[in-house]
Amino acid sequence: MQTPLLGEFQAPSDAKHWYSPLMRLDIPMQRYAHGDAVDYVIVGIGSAGGVLLQRLAKAGFRVVGIEAGPFWDTERDWVSDEAGSHKLYWNDLRITGGKDPITLGANNSGRGVGGGSVHWAGFTPRFHPSDFRVFSQDGMGADWPITYEDLKPYYELMENEIPVAGPAYYPWGDPHGYSYGAHPLGGVGDVLVEGCNKLGIRVVAGGPIAITSGSHGKRPHCIYRGFCIQGCKVGAKQSTLVSHVPDALRHGAEIRDNSMVARINLGKDGRVTGVTYFDAEGHEHEQKAKNVIVCGYAIETPRLLLNSACPGFEQGLANSSGTVGKYLMVQIGNVVIGRFDSLVRMYKAPPAHALTEEFYETDPRNDFVRGFAIQTVGPLPIAFAKQMMVAKGAWGWGLRRVMMDYNHYAALGVLGEILPWEDNRVALAEDKDQFGLPVAKITFSMKENDKKIAAAGVKKTKEILHAAGATEVDEEARYAHLIGGARMGNDPRTSVVDSFGRTHDIPNLFLCDGSIFPTQGSANPGLTIQAVAARTADFLVSEREFASQHHPRTTSAVPRIRYDLSPGDTAGHGMPRLKSRTPRTEVGIGGLAPDSDY
Amino acid sequence: MALQTIPVPRVVRREGVVVAQHIREGRFQRSLAIIAALSSLLGGLDVTYEHYRGSYSQRVMYSPIVITPLLALVGVWAAFNRRVARTLLPLASIALLVDGVVGFVFHLRGIARKPGGWRLPLFNLIMGPPIFAPLLLSIGGFLGIIAALLRREDDPAEDRPTPSPLLLDRKGIVHRALVGTAAPSWLPRGIAREGIILDRDVREGRFQKLLAGAMGVSAILNGAEVWYSHYKNRFSFRVQWTPIILTPFLIVAGFGALFSKRIARTLLPITSLLAIINGTVGFFFHARGIARRPGNPRQIVYNVAYGPPIFAPLLFAATGFMGLLAALLRRTSK
Amino acid sequence: MKVRATRDHAGHDRRVRDPRTGQPLAPKAQPGYYPGFSTIRRQKFWDAATRAVVLKRVNQVPPIRFFNPDEVRLMEALAGRIIPQDDRDAAHQIPIVPHIDHRLAEGIIDGYRFEDMPPDGEAYHLGLQGVEAVAQHMYQRGFVDLDPGEQERVLVTLHDAQPPAGDAIWRRVAAQRFWMLLVQDCIEGYYAHPYAWDEIGFGGPAYPLGYMRLEGGKPEPWEKDERRYEWAAPAWAISDQFHPLGGGQATQPAGQEGTH
Repeated sequence: MQTPLLGEFQAPSDAKHWYSPLMRLDIPMQRYAHGDAVDYVIVGIGSAGGVLLQRLAKAGFRVVGIEAGPFWDTERDWVSDEAGSHKLYWNDLRITGGKDPITLGANNSGRGVGGGSVHWAGFTPRFHPSDFRVFSQDGMGADWPITYEDLKPYYELMENEIPVAGPAYYPWGDPHGYSYGAHPLGGVGDVLVEGCNKLGIRVVAGGPIAITSGSHGKRPHCIYRGFCIQGCKVGAKQSTLVSHVPDALRHGAEIRDNSMVARINLGKDGRVTGVTYFDAEGHEHEQKAKNVIVCGYAIETPRLLLNSACPGFEQGLANSSGTVGKYLMVQIGNVVIGRFDSLVRMYKAPPAHALTEEFYETDPRNDFVRGFAIQTVGPLPIAFAKQMMVAKGAWGWGLRRVMMDYNHYAALGVLGEILPWEDNRVALAEDKDQFGLPVAKITFSMKENDKKIAAAGVKKTKEILHAAGATEVDEEARYAHLIGGARMGNDPRTSVVDSFGRTHDIPNLFLCDGSIFPTQGSANPGLTIQAVAARTADFLVSEREFASQHHPRTTSAVPRIRYDLSPGDTAGHGMPRLKSRTPRTEVGIGGLAPDSDY
Repeated sequence: MALQTIPVPRVVRREGVVVAQHIREGRFQRSLAIIAALSSLLGGLDVTYEHYRGSYSQRVMYSPIVITPLLALVGVWAAFNRRVARTLLPLASIALLVDGVVGFVFHLRGIARKPGGWRLPLFNLIMGPPIFAPLLLSIGGFLGIIAALLRREDDPAEDRPTPSPLLLDRKGIVHRALVGTAAPSWLPRGIAREGIILDRDVREGRFQKLLAGAMGVSAILNGAEVWYSHYKNRFSFRVQWTPIILTPFLIVAGFGALFSKRIARTLLPITSLLAIINGTVGFFFHARGIARRPGNPRQIVYNVAYGPPIFAPLLFAATGFMGLLAALLRRTSK
Repeated sequence: MKVRATRDHAGHDRRVRDPRTGQPLAPKAQPGYYPGFSTIRRQKFWDAATRAVVLKRVNQVPPIRFFNPDEVRLMEALAGRIIPQDDRDAAHQIPIVPHIDHRLAEGIIDGYRFEDMPPDGEAYHLGLQGVEAVAQHMYQRGFVDLDPGEQERVLVTLHDAQPPAGDAIWRRVAAQRFWMLLVQDCIEGYYAHPYAWDEIGFGGPAYPLGYMRLEGGKPEPWEKDERRYEWAAPAWAISDQFHPLGGGQATQPAGQEGTH
């Protein structure tokens, strides 16, 4: 059969804006005037910005989201094609250097409403309790000003809102279960499970990933097409575009897309007054706001602060500590590729669908601290060919030959922790972008501990592939997710924001995204970014209550958890799940986290 | 009679004759109640992990999980308690029957809401909600309803019609005013008459056509389910074709029995027996398929849920069982 | 698309060979192990946006705007070695250079530039001069006029990040970065094409129709089983032997594509 019933598929015939095949924007969007000082301007509607926009709008605030990229109409804008999805990434110029320059763009930087959550593979493991106390436990890196327990309710909340599909029992970190069932395994998952099992390594299959395994309201379940990081046209993989933005607009939020914020404006009273941005036509506008939240991620957030330098903040806005742009991290993302005699066809099923975190924690037997996770990845042909160029040094006839064997390969990804180092940083370059704004310059070098983790991760992954029956194994060095650049902390001299994202220097300027994380663990950061955003939102809502009671501002108060701020279609789906009881503030012994006594 | 010609030990044969006699006379309420309970339990286990795979994303997906154990419980209870068999058993059975139909509608809708909807019928049927599975679940309910209408094994063997449970009051006593008259008076006369006849026929074991027809329908549904499940797996093993080959014969036997007593006494029991054997063999192969999946034994729970559906072949066997039962029954008195 | 002869002017057979007999294999409409597999035949199952993008790629090859005619000849020769297509018949060769030209003319970049690299367009202009310099140094002829085997030997010096000539150029554009840029651009041209998907057995666009046979490498009903055949690169080729980027001298550079 060469055609579907009733002929080829057509584009939607109406002029409505589509979020996914069954979801469309059905009410006109709220519009605020530039001079109208809204309660919040959110710069960047990505993973964190989308969640904040929705929560603050639902809580009754007047919110404007300003996004540099487009407000995607998924039916018309997104394609089920690797090369055609270039526009999903942050493709504006950045300069990358240092001893180990990291690559950006398609590798780790999103653009457009939904941001990075549009092109993430969707792995959503939580951080481990130990991730929040790295310095205390291991003498390196940094501690978070919050603990796992502070974030745990938000993990649970976001896992239901996303929703996260995963095993009924997830054994690592703080063990827990998921309310959406696991996904079926694809060829690469089979390899990881088989290899781990042969070596006695625990592994989980079918999650945790931010992809629906059953329909979720108007979002259908996954069709296992493998184009997760090209934007999920199905609407099965969560991006805040499908999970939070529709609810935000329903509650009166406005999104200004294709609008690049140039600077944050500071008033005479030391408070920010709004932002100046360029709209799609290149016209400059100023949006007044009572508060500004920057959610631009690890490169653009520091860049905007540095570009907003002004009298009183010559080194960059909110940068009295001098730490803006510093302690930038990426995760070790080496890809290890095994060839099998039998066919694998790794383009089927979501690239992310099985993982092991068995080597996540510091192990005293290692000559390094912290660790790594091993995950499935399913590169499509272009990505795979590029990996083969590096992994095998393939070109010419050799490249043609390995590519003809594309379906025989299975690729696993190491996800390893790189610790925060002061000299890994974002600064401003001399080059300017199309708006005349200085672009970011990233300097990055691997340190001894980082290199050891990478080597150990690759070694273990190779063992797993061999155990699963791979006949040859190759490795590509790579860096994955960005983290840090404007870290949170209790000490204003060494950090930029407090644990709720409020800048130490300016009371009505907030940062909320991956840039405020002091460390990153070996877990994909997407879920934690959204959980932190939900926590910040609760804080902002509770602050309004304090303010109405003439209560002095406090950042130590633990805000009430607002379950009522979840998007309207969250309830009524999924199943009861295993919730662990975490012993509070229990510190691990001998470098081992309390959860490692299994 | 076929049973008497099979060379089996005398005790077994005598018991067999008694059972056959009971069935012929519609005096097998207790056994059928147990069987309905078992069938419901199997279907319930199947739907438990199938709906787990669908994440119970709608609350209604819990309904079979609640109703099937209920029917299982009531079925077993009914085997020991005459009143439960006349009251709770039909209620629980009707609930499951209705739930299956409701589920069928939801599954139709679920397929329509997948990308491409009904324009990609095959793919969305295979990767979406299994369309006929809810109706197969209803079979347990159907058997339960029949059981409720039957006489019990220890009822007197005489041919005198026993009162219909529809005419019993809450205490299980025949409503004198209604004896010999009719079903509820609000029913149109024609339907009421047919209902009374059917009711009596079932009680007397004269419902071979009904059960054979039901088996035919069940074979169609089951065959379709098996076909697309095995198609999904590309018929990688030749043995996966066997239920597909058997299905047309089952359908012919089931519907043929409506018109021909001969088919009911020959093809029907033979194909039904083959279906039971096939289902049992399938169960073994599915278990083996699960055992061969990566990650065992640690991943056994995952592999049961995501490997070949372990209980599905037994549902195919249940269809065969219905046919076998039908073969032993009497035809209508008309 | 320029038609390549099976033999070049110097009489070198460009065709791949049967490794047992050493005899050349005739160019195919569709090399690879999935004969009869066609993704583009499935286009009615694709959504409209994807169909438009892929068909445009196939049917509307962009005109050359960035490279000058000499550069185009050189780029064609380079692309022909980096992703050789001599096993494809003339009608089924995949245009690569127009894709690269389009990217450079439009100023489309991947979102970053290495600090030791000029902007991509400049890097190409310089890098092509560098290739030419190496060719002149090694064989005293232009790259375009070299035998394919000689061309590969020129390129391998870039692959090893040790070009023997053109130091002044390579100081401005790092040889290894230019090599990776070039290979990646060629990859993006070739493996974005449905013919290449058919060759490697990749299912192509998959929406709204997804996949059902996820495990065991089983083909979908519309995909094909693998049917392998033996082939060997032409006798003059050295690119079919793998050796690491940088010739094992430097640390391996990081990959550049996001997968997790």
